[in-house]
Amino acid sequence: MFKSLIATAAAFVTLAAIPAAAQDQARASWVKMRSPAIEGNLEGNSAERTVLVVTPPGYDENTGKRYPVVYYLHGYWAPVEAQQAGFKLHEAVQAAAEAGNDVIMVMPDGFSKLRGGFYSSSPTVGDYETFVANDLVRWIDGNYRTIATRASRGLAGHSMGGYGTIRIAMKHPDTFSSIYMMSACCLDPMQMTAEQAKGIEAMTEADIAAAQFGQLAAVSTLATWSPDPTDDGFLKVYTGLKPDGTIDPLVNQRLAANSPLVLVPQYLSALNSLEAFAMDIGDKDFLLQGNAAFRAELDRFGVKYDFELYEGDHGNRIAERIRTEVLPFFGQHLDK
Amino acid sequence: MRALIAGALLALTASPVAAQNITAPPPPIPAGITVEEIKVHGASLMGNLEGNDVDRQVMVVLPPSYKTNPNKHYPVIYYLHGFAIDGKNFYNYMHVPEAVAKNAAEGNEFIVVVPSTLTKMGGSMYSSSVTTGDFRKFIAHDLVEYMDKNYRTIATRGGRGLAGHSMGGYGTWVIGMTYPQVFDSIWAQSACCVSARTETVESATAMGAVPIDGVDASGFGMRAGLASMVAWSPNPNNPPFYADFPLKDGKIDQSVIDRWRNNAPLAMVATHIEALQSFDAIGSDVGTKDGLIRDDTLIHEELEGFGIEHVWETYEGTHTDKIGERFANVVLPFFAQHLDKQ
Repeated sequence: MFKSLIATAAAFVTLAAIPAAAQDQARASWVKMRSPAIEGNLEGNSAERTVLVVTPPGYDENTGKRYPVVYYLHGYWAPVEAQQAGFKLHEAVQAAAEAGNDVIMVMPDGFSKLRGGFYSSSPTVGDYETFVANDLVRWIDGNYRTIATRASRGLAGHSMGGYGTIRIAMKHPDTFSSIYMMSACCLDPMQMTAEQAKGIEAMTEADIAAAQFGQLAAVSTLATWSPDPTDDGFLKVYTGLKPDGTIDPLVNQRLAANSPLVLVPQYLSALNSLEAFAMDIGDKDFLLQGNAAFRAELDRFGVKYDFELYEGDHGNRIAERIRTEVLPFFGQHLDK
Repeated sequence: MRALIAGALLALTASPVAAQNITAPPPPIPAGITVEEIKVHGASLMGNLEGNDVDRQVMVVLPPSYKTNPNKHYPVIYYLHGFAIDGKNFYNYMHVPEAVAKNAAEGNEFIVVVPSTLTKMGGSMYSSSVTTGDFRKFIAHDLVEYMDKNYRTIATRGGRGLAGHSMGGYGTWVIGMTYPQVFDSIWAQSACCVSARTETVESATAMGAVPIDGVDASGFGMRAGLASMVAWSPNPNNPPFYADFPLKDGKIDQSVIDRWRNNAPLAMVATHIEALQSFDAIGSDVGTKDGLIRDDTLIHEELEGFGIEHVWETYEGTHTDKIGERFANVVLPFFAQHLDKQ
């Protein structure tokens, strides 16, 4: 299902040069912070997380000024540095400032041993959900001149990050007031079959290293949503495969319990408490169906949101739309 | 769920009345114990589609020194009742005042709070449903806030325990995992509904055949199924139940089953490890003659697999015959060991 993302990832081969420090321009800085929520995970993902922080022009000089913050969650497969090379968030922050919307933009490292933590909570992978919603927000509020309130915090993301956006918005409604999901993945529940489970159990470290996008994403989501510290294998996952060759329903119960589509009825008060809620997707995106099913569920429960279907695929217009749609959206809704 | 029926209906000495809800005679109130019956407004329940009361009956049991020592603050145990009974009758059945007095005599004073979450369908399932009301938030937020404002509680996480029986044991698991920051320690007695509910075409067809005015007479098991449905697969556009039924076009609707799965404590554990690890202590018990022992053993094993420390006890007993004495002799002493006393 993630196959067409490979093309996107391949496009991120070169790192864009970050402009030299000059606060007449938006400035992107790579910083490090420690996340207690990531500590102790079984994949050995570092609790020392890289974070991209983009400050708007004038940030250095206007020492009395505080800014709203947009947290941006990147997608699967490519490391955060390569994601920024594609997104060019500093250009989006610069454009927003020129339009009168000074904002700090923050992109945390959501990468893992299996190339993405899905902003979820797993002892195998780490608690990326708490890392973002708690550790990161506190650290940013403690180290930058933010307006440290819900009304001035936005959350957005692409693909796996779109999934993270809706998941975290539902589970942490007191932290973010407005959200924007771009080409979100993983909205409808996944189903593990005996066939898939056998395939995953047979994988060696070398197979993992050589795995293609879609193949690895299936393992990565399992590590995230059906972790198992007692697994004898190196993956520390529970595939649900029983000795008689059938699937333990528990694994599919766990997968369902991590599906935003399934979560909707339970988190209606959180969704309805949002100041603004937007989502978009390209008309050639392979994730159209999951997005349509998710929107139908929101419609059924009367949750209000803005939606745009644009001409494009899963990755070819993300940087442009962060600049022309996402930051203007937050400019309109976050308190300044 | 079948075991629950047998347990609840056979073992309770009380008689079912209208709407098949269980009643029990008022308990003795030992000297020094104060009992207050209050109403607590549930902002989280407003607008529920079933028309359940937003102002909830709550029994508050105060320890002996509460009246004589006006500067003292107390730890609070929130105690959740099961299906087809209200808070007051559960308080009656469990002899809560005697349990509080006994523990006070041993030097452990608590306030015990028993909220009523009885709904039109016979029980809230302590879930977050637009149809039933957001009972998880009612307990963890509205009720806790009310108690902290109106009583001399220890108004911090360290001073709060959460416990419950059967549906209330289920509520203990799901509220604990959803709002871990509110409670210091939790104990589930004979928890129901631990693994995800499933249906066959036959059972789902039977659910669909119950008219809304026939729910009360449909029997304990059917009512519990319908109560679970309105709690876990609500649908504001499908009156009169305002829920999605598990049967669609003659087949089981997997999307409905998926939504029920998302409400199963067993399925929740794997993604709530951080929450579960954050508790000071976790306890769970069940009688060896209770059919729920199978499910309750599963969640014990699930916690064990994830290395989450917890107390797990089985005892000779049914779904209901020892729960009162265990509340007094096991559950409250467990909280005495873990909650802050000042």
